[in-house]
Amino acid sequence: MRDAYVVGAGQSAYGSFPDESYRSLFRTAVEAAVDSVDHGIDLGAVDEAYVGTLGVGGRQIGLSAPAVTEHVGLDGTPATRVENACAASGYAVRQAVMAVRSGMADVVLAGGVEVMTDLSGDTVRYWLGVSGETEWERLSGTTFAGVYAQMASAHMREHGTTTDQLSAVAVKNHDNGARNPKAQLDFTCTLEEATAAPTVADPLTLYHCCPTTDGAAAVLVASEDVVDDYAADPVRVAGVGAAADRVGLFRRDSYTSIPASRRAADAAYDAAGVGPADLDFAEVHDCFAIAELLAYEDLRFCERGAAGPYVESGATEPDGELPVNTSGGLKSKGHPIGATGAGQVVEAFDQLTGRAGDRGLEAPAVGLTHNVGGSGGAAVVHVLEREDRRRAGP
Amino acid sequence: MSRGVLAVGAYAPASRVPAAAFEDAWGRFDAPGVETTAVPDADEDALTMSVEAARRALSAADADGATLDALAFATTTPPLAEEDLTPRLGSYLGAPADVAGRTYGGHTRAGVDALLDALGREGTALVVAADCPAGEPDDPREHAAGAGAAALLVGPDAPATVVETAAATDPRPGTRFRRAGDDRLDGLDAGRYDRAAFVEPVEAAVDGLDDADVDAVAVQAPDGRLPYRADIDDEAVAAVETVSELGDTAAASVPLGLARAFEAGHERTLAVGWGSGAGAVAARIEGAAPVEASLSADRELDYAAYLRRRGDVVGDVPDGGAAHVSVPSWRRSLASRHRHEAGRCPDCGAVAFPPAGACPDCRSPADFEPVEPARTGTVEAATTIGEGGAPPEFAATQARQGAFGVAIVAFDAGNEAVSVPVQVVGEAAVGDRVRAVPRRIYVEEGVPRYGLKALPVGD
Repeated sequence: MRDAYVVGAGQSAYGSFPDESYRSLFRTAVEAAVDSVDHGIDLGAVDEAYVGTLGVGGRQIGLSAPAVTEHVGLDGTPATRVENACAASGYAVRQAVMAVRSGMADVVLAGGVEVMTDLSGDTVRYWLGVSGETEWERLSGTTFAGVYAQMASAHMREHGTTTDQLSAVAVKNHDNGARNPKAQLDFTCTLEEATAAPTVADPLTLYHCCPTTDGAAAVLVASEDVVDDYAADPVRVAGVGAAADRVGLFRRDSYTSIPASRRAADAAYDAAGVGPADLDFAEVHDCFAIAELLAYEDLRFCERGAAGPYVESGATEPDGELPVNTSGGLKSKGHPIGATGAGQVVEAFDQLTGRAGDRGLEAPAVGLTHNVGGSGGAAVVHVLEREDRRRAGP
Repeated sequence: MSRGVLAVGAYAPASRVPAAAFEDAWGRFDAPGVETTAVPDADEDALTMSVEAARRALSAADADGATLDALAFATTTPPLAEEDLTPRLGSYLGAPADVAGRTYGGHTRAGVDALLDALGREGTALVVAADCPAGEPDDPREHAAGAGAAALLVGPDAPATVVETAAATDPRPGTRFRRAGDDRLDGLDAGRYDRAAFVEPVEAAVDGLDDADVDAVAVQAPDGRLPYRADIDDEAVAAVETVSELGDTAAASVPLGLARAFEAGHERTLAVGWGSGAGAVAARIEGAAPVEASLSADRELDYAAYLRRRGDVVGDVPDGGAAHVSVPSWRRSLASRHRHEAGRCPDCGAVAFPPAGACPDCRSPADFEPVEPARTGTVEAATTIGEGGAPPEFAATQARQGAFGVAIVAFDAGNEAVSVPVQVVGEAAVGDRVRAVPRRIYVEEGVPRYGLKALPVGD
């Protein structure tokens, strides 16, 4: 099986851009990805494209991949939409890796795009609910935040997790996002502000919830046969893991864990031959503060039930043992649904190749990205590495 | 003992608005003799209230919906102007497919008419009267408008029997009417004419009985004064009236009075139904049947909250669209919507909700055997969807009703428990006990969709 490498990755700024379209944002991301390729790349080299998008607002549900790839001149290249709710473009990257590893493609564009801020509040609430289980869960009246709030209620009951521990996630991710020029929310907040903010869905406050976001991200994946044509410091996709689960929370075996995350992470660790202790950083899916705490446990950064004390220990701060969401995460960087998974890979690429500016870590070798669809109906984990740094290590 | 009433169930919404709230708002209150009125929640209507009453009647008789031969539904405020609602009522109750459905409406005497018809037929019949009349905010009929339901199980060997009846009519148009296509009551308020339209047929019907010497009189009560205008024993009327507390319950008015009479142990009761138009029917009942009733209030609304509940100050359904479940798809799940029907996997015995698709335990493509879970369960996970935060399909209900909880509730089902996502009537926390109650879920494509929600019941 051939190895796959990330040779370029870029994103648009995340935020609210009434003067942009889903196509122009996608183009900005692709251009940024192209610009990040060490030795340059002609888009004509792209053999295949995968585009993640939920299609919030219904702007182009059918043929949404060709609709954006034609905008960057790839109208003759096979392009496929990948839809797994908020994990759409994490899965698009995985599709790219599969295409390269299979030998069918040498260079694949994987990206994602979403426009969410040009709609009325009611329309956004409609679209935010389309990835829950519709017939029973959504028709109980819940929202996307509501389902995660239910998980938080169960986690608090079972493990004594506190509101301040949820707030600690928000404080950290806002601190990180404030150093990311591409982040949507560039301000910091205090623990007190996060806890005292208006309630969205008890126990989650406004600061425990990610914003709605316009944005796009793009990743260029190349085979080992051609990687040296493009990259001076190649980033190897060391491991990929993915898992699905029952879409409705009420149908799952646990409300205090996302089993799909756990299975995806175990598969990715196994494939990469690493464990959580080997990671230098992680970008995890923190659509809500409770989601980051669940990720700590499901990705085995800490024991089940211990995520609250773990975040309070500072372990996941930029100077901690395992920095998490140096980009600001979905919380602060933003969550343009279809772009989020690819955007996480952009941050990992930037960290591993020294492009992360003020928030750059000290020569990291191994990073992980973790992207969840819905409340856990799909999850995908990538382990990315700089082989040169791993081999040079102790 | 002969054919008669075997048991009675009664239900009224838990919210009350006091007469003083109208006086504060309007400087007057036009429903004499009414102290409070029962106000349905935004997701309650004549059908959901009828299920509440029917469940209680069956429970009082220790009977099962599967034993019913006939089901009669009487209301002046059906949630749909045309469509037989007895199939959905029967589905909630687990009635057999060959149950004979009857619908009565068009005037407030409908409940008594339904009862007398059922007495005249064979088999076990459940007669359910439920109503929630409404008028324009400044209309006397709106000031009186209440809500409630009563269900009477009718069959052989009954403890309460109708020993004689008499009827009277008198053409009197215009005293209380609702135009086709309108959901608000109207009337001319023509003083003496209106009073005569009520009093004369009522008195004539009672006079038609051989013997009207009774302890209690359950008489139609459009407001709290009219019943006393007729020449019948005021004390016997006052003994079992509900209008002062629940308001005008229209087709359910007399059945609710009967529930009160039986509950108090009165052995000689008169039921006097009246409908505008006008006509009255009187029935003398001997004996008393067991009653299970929930008519008490648990919260008082101010006038602003009342207007919100009525939908008078709430805009239309917002844009954004509703979560779409086609009506045919919805129908496939009705047993689970109405009774939380779950399914036992024939291969491994696990119980699944909903009972469709692969078994969640052994993954075999199961042909589930129906299991009906308990109606009371325990909250496993919960949150509250605050004002303005509801998905579009629940926005209008939230605008009327306020914040609501959403929970995953575990209900015992056979040897196991099933977890069901349900909306909470009010709010609930993990560990709370809740009861599954009938409510309208939402309306899509003009079709009201009914299911179960969770009402906190304390420990």
